[in-house]
Amino acid sequence: MRAIWFFASLAFTACLIGLWQLASATGLASPIFLPAPTRVLDALVAGFSSGAMPAKLGATTARVFVGWALASLLGVALGALIGVSQRARIYIAPSLEFLRPLPVSALVPIFIGLLGYSEQMVLAVIAFGAFWPCLLSTIHGFSAVEPRLYEVSKVLGLSRWSMIRKIALPSALPDIIAGMRVGLTVSLILVVVGEILGSREGIGYDILLAQRAFKSPDLFAGIILLGLVGYASAIAIDWLESRLVRWR
Amino acid sequence: MDRVIQFSNVSLAIGGRHILDDINIDIARGEFVAIVGPSGCGKTTLLRLLAGLAAPSSGEILLDGTPVRAPRQDVAVVFQDYGKALLPWRTASGNIALALEAMNVPRDQWPARIAELLATMGLERDGDKRPGEMSGGMQQRLQIARCLAQQPGVLLMDEPFGALDAITRQLLQDEVLALAERTGMTVFFVTHDLEEAIYLGNRVVALNASPGRVARTFPIDLPHPRDQLSTREHPTFLELRHDLFSFIKGGTGK
Ligand SMILES: Nc1ncnc2c1ncn2[C@@H]1O[C@H](COP(=O)(O)OP(=O)(O)OP(=O)(O)O)[C@@H](O)[C@H]1O
Ligand SMILES: [Mg+2]
Repeated sequence: MRAIWFFASLAFTACLIGLWQLASATGLASPIFLPAPTRVLDALVAGFSSGAMPAKLGATTARVFVGWALASLLGVALGALIGVSQRARIYIAPSLEFLRPLPVSALVPIFIGLLGYSEQMVLAVIAFGAFWPCLLSTIHGFSAVEPRLYEVSKVLGLSRWSMIRKIALPSALPDIIAGMRVGLTVSLILVVVGEILGSREGIGYDILLAQRAFKSPDLFAGIILLGLVGYASAIAIDWLESRLVRWR
Repeated sequence: MDRVIQFSNVSLAIGGRHILDDINIDIARGEFVAIVGPSGCGKTTLLRLLAGLAAPSSGEILLDGTPVRAPRQDVAVVFQDYGKALLPWRTASGNIALALEAMNVPRDQWPARIAELLATMGLERDGDKRPGEMSGGMQQRLQIARCLAQQPGVLLMDEPFGALDAITRQLLQDEVLALAERTGMTVFFVTHDLEEAIYLGNRVVALNASPGRVARTFPIDLPHPRDQLSTREHPTFLELRHDLFSFIKGGTGK
């Protein structure tokens, strides 16, 4: 069954590429805006054989990963704190509510002012954007713990720390992972924004340069690579989820 | 009488509403007391007070002579909603391990204790199953097994078999009776099933509603061990059943 679906999706992708090829071969779309898939492939091959592409791909992937990991760490830690401690909620929640609706784009000038056009600035932009989904779904996960389980842990005489570790955290885990998944998507968007604003070498910045130089094959090559990074990371999260949340 | 549990003048009001009013019940060690009463009369609330999950507005609950202020490890609670009271991400063994962990049982003793507890509740082959893979009856057995891991002197049960089918219910009734007999546990058993109360109890305490008060106590003079057929056909059983049914019908004023 799974094999059938796999081939079906493969066939669908092939059809799309075929249509794309058709559109550019018949001149339906101008090659300046829509290059033929074969030319995009050429651009990819050229980029990889010259060695420039792997370096950029590596840099971009690393930024996504580090920014996202930072956001996840902070988001889960703070979310757990707010989730288990009434006092933390009272102190922290209002300032978070103030920060939360601010768009990342509005804060970018502040990050540039603080960190310059640096690697750290790009990471900060990614981390700031990806932090919110992680935080909010962690808070949600902790607040959605079955109240009966809290009573069970009281009756069993579990310590507060054991209760958090053995009951609240595992119970919140599916929500935490869902938040991290959204955070990853946000990171992928913001890495492009960050690289463009900071003029940092990478796939995102490359896309901008290709667009300015009307090199549409390079532009599409970059987009395809970004898509592949997103696809691979989604698979990685699926795998993580199936390992950690086997009971669902 | 060797008193284990003593409710003395226990009242509870929430937001100006009297939920329980002047409850006085004494329970002897090893006794099996069934609490019955109309829905909403405060049976669950009474059990929660005894468990230390809530505090009375006035009066006192003594357990072995000391006032109940918080949950105690020698008092175990079987909740009605087994589906919510078990950790869905842990296997049956893992759920029992949670209690052993809380009891600070050394880790090297866990496998033997878990195997023993699973066997006691007839789950010896289900240690690796998660609650989601178990039937309702099995899940409730697992919850009882976890309670037994606490080696409780007092077992509190809140309509534990209310959600089970008739046959499973009868099997579990007999198992709990046998357990109580073997371990000498004191059992505080809340139910709305009057026949179940008579079948299991040494004594049935009937509450009436708004506010919850002890309406009447029925001593149950039925021979042990109880048997699903002969006990339920016993003339005393039928007489008690008649008395209790007509009392509840009249007592609620409906
Ligand atoms: N936390 C609470 N706040 C306010 N009222 C409550 C609370 N807990 C219980 N009550 C009220 O106390 C009364 C007794 O509730 P309780 O759950 O003890 O009844 P019960 O006898 O167990 O009923 P049932 O047979 O339906 O389980 C009800 O009227 C309920 O509305
Ligand atoms: Mg109840």
